[in-house]
Amino acid sequence: MSLELTGVTVAFGHADARTTVFDGLDVTFEPGRMTALVGPSGSGKSTLLAVAGALLRPTAGQVLLDGEDFAGLSDARRAKVRRERIGYMFQSGNLLSGLTAVEQLLAAAYISGERPRAHRSRAEEALTGVGLGHRLRHRPEQLSGGERQRVALARALFLSPKLLLVDEPTAAVDRSQAGELAELLAERTRRDGCVTVVATHDPAVAEAADRVVDMAELSVTGASAGLSGR
Amino acid sequence: MFLALLELRAARGRFLLMGSVVVLVAALVGIVSGFTTGLGDDTISALRRLPASQFVFSSDARSDQFARSLLDERTAAAWRKDADTDMTPLGVSITRGTTNRGAEVDLAAFGVEPESFLSPSVTQGDDLADASADSIVMSAGLADEGVRVGDTLVIDRLGIKLHVIGLTERSGYGHVPAAYVPLRTWQRIRFSAPGSQASAATEIPDQFSALALRTPAKVSTADLDERHSTTTLTKEKAYEAAPGYTGERVTMNSIQVFLYLIAPLVVGAFFAVWTVQRQPELALLRALGASRRRLLAHTVLQAALVVVLGTVAGAVLAGAVGLLVGEQVPFSLPATTLAVTMCTVAAVGLAGTALTLRRVTAADPLTMLGANR
Ligand SMILES: Nc1ncnc2c1ncn2[C@@H]1O[C@H](COP(=O)(O)OP(=O)(O)OP(=O)(O)O)[C@@H](O)[C@H]1O
Ligand SMILES: [Mg+2]
Repeated sequence: MSLELTGVTVAFGHADARTTVFDGLDVTFEPGRMTALVGPSGSGKSTLLAVAGALLRPTAGQVLLDGEDFAGLSDARRAKVRRERIGYMFQSGNLLSGLTAVEQLLAAAYISGERPRAHRSRAEEALTGVGLGHRLRHRPEQLSGGERQRVALARALFLSPKLLLVDEPTAAVDRSQAGELAELLAERTRRDGCVTVVATHDPAVAEAADRVVDMAELSVTGASAGLSGR
Repeated sequence: MFLALLELRAARGRFLLMGSVVVLVAALVGIVSGFTTGLGDDTISALRRLPASQFVFSSDARSDQFARSLLDERTAAAWRKDADTDMTPLGVSITRGTTNRGAEVDLAAFGVEPESFLSPSVTQGDDLADASADSIVMSAGLADEGVRVGDTLVIDRLGIKLHVIGLTERSGYGHVPAAYVPLRTWQRIRFSAPGSQASAATEIPDQFSALALRTPAKVSTADLDERHSTTTLTKEKAYEAAPGYTGERVTMNSIQVFLYLIAPLVVGAFFAVWTVQRQPELALLRALGASRRRLLAHTVLQAALVVVLGTVAGAVLAGAVGLLVGEQVPFSLPATTLAVTMCTVAAVGLAGTALTLRRVTAADPLTMLGANR
């Protein structure tokens, strides 16, 4: 179970307004290892996660999850890949308004086809695991920014996905919490044997990761690979 | 289901508001339809109860035929000869009287041959057959106004004295309770001049409003109409000849039609706003892998809950109004009418939400990539 991106090109817009984020990017992520994606803002970390997460269809190239390319699948099939195999924490806007922290997790279980009621106590444990045992019945508007991101992280981890994609998990938490969350991610990755990719600016996360990939280098490699291919 | 209900709970204020609008629209439709039926009954139930299938009027009466048309025995005889079907004269006019106990009442006097098929069956007292010429059978509406079997009713200004001998089912004509008298007596009521000696029966013309055909004529009524200068109407068509009937219908039906147009627009507008408001949530659900079908199902379920529960509550409200208004108010809302109108409200309400469903599936999961939320 690995994730392999080959020849991935992502471009937004058309003609003059065209932004090319990647051009012929090749990168592989192994199971049981946590990779930190680092690089300046706008370097394409979130975009790479979206491609890997079957959210964004690349302009060209393949995204192989376990040897199977989902880049070319229909919308409906990619939605199925997302709900069954991927845990995703977005950079922002993760939570459904009006639902409590526990319900956020149950909603994800429900979307994946599980019976939500059967998961209630596990959801409470999962939230306790990210230090939110005292915020189980709180709704998004009653949580701080960092607490919201931790709920989102708990949700991404909740169904033990094969592919765990995490975008800036420590952007809104303090130093010591950042270290704890990074440790939690690394530990879950080893325990579940999942492919974990974390986009981050945080040295603590990079430190906990098994591998650090610099977006600048990736893009350079990608660009040169694209050039040599022509 | 789970998510749909969680969302409902989270936005309960808005859904309650929407639900109450549905309740009120449904109740209003129910009440309007109750009044439509009730007023209709008040206007034509006496005609509906007549066991006739067609009415023949004189052709010079083009509207308000029951009041304007006059036929005589000569036309009746000619028709009888040509049409070869059971028929009998009918006189209809609205008048008023006072009982010996001081009750002042309006009544629609129906003049019938006492032995004919138009002669009403009674629920209390005696019927017109074998009764003396100065007998009257009243419908239940007059009993509400204080007339009793055994009373004497004097027709105002004419001084014609009638004995109330029987009571028949509730029926009305032109918003006035019906009463039945022998045709000769009806002619005295219709044709006597006020103040004249009412017993001067010799001067009373032997005329009546219409001929009632028990079963449809076996020959073409158009030919007969041509030959005898008459107009033949089916019973249903003849309702329009009752005073006020057409105007009331048009008014009440247009109110109802507008409500049926308003209901889907209101519900549709609500769900359009609701769907636009939760585009971020819908995008997130899509990003988490929810299928379009699931999001659709869950929006439809929310709409169905609001519309169906609202309509049921509205039906209960309309039914309660029906029970609360007394017999004096022309309101009639049979269960089947209520069921049909409420199903229509629910159906048009749901049709309103159907207009907004495209937006539900149009939510783009990619917006989750934008970091600006
Ligand atoms: N929908 C879009 N249309 C056009 N350009 C886009 C779109 N989405 C992203 N981009 C561009 O792609 C580039 C990479 O964006 P991305 O969000 O991946 O950066 P990032 O590395 O995650 O940055 P940050 O650290 O600030 O989160 C940016 O230059 C951005 O402007
Ligand atoms: Mg980003």
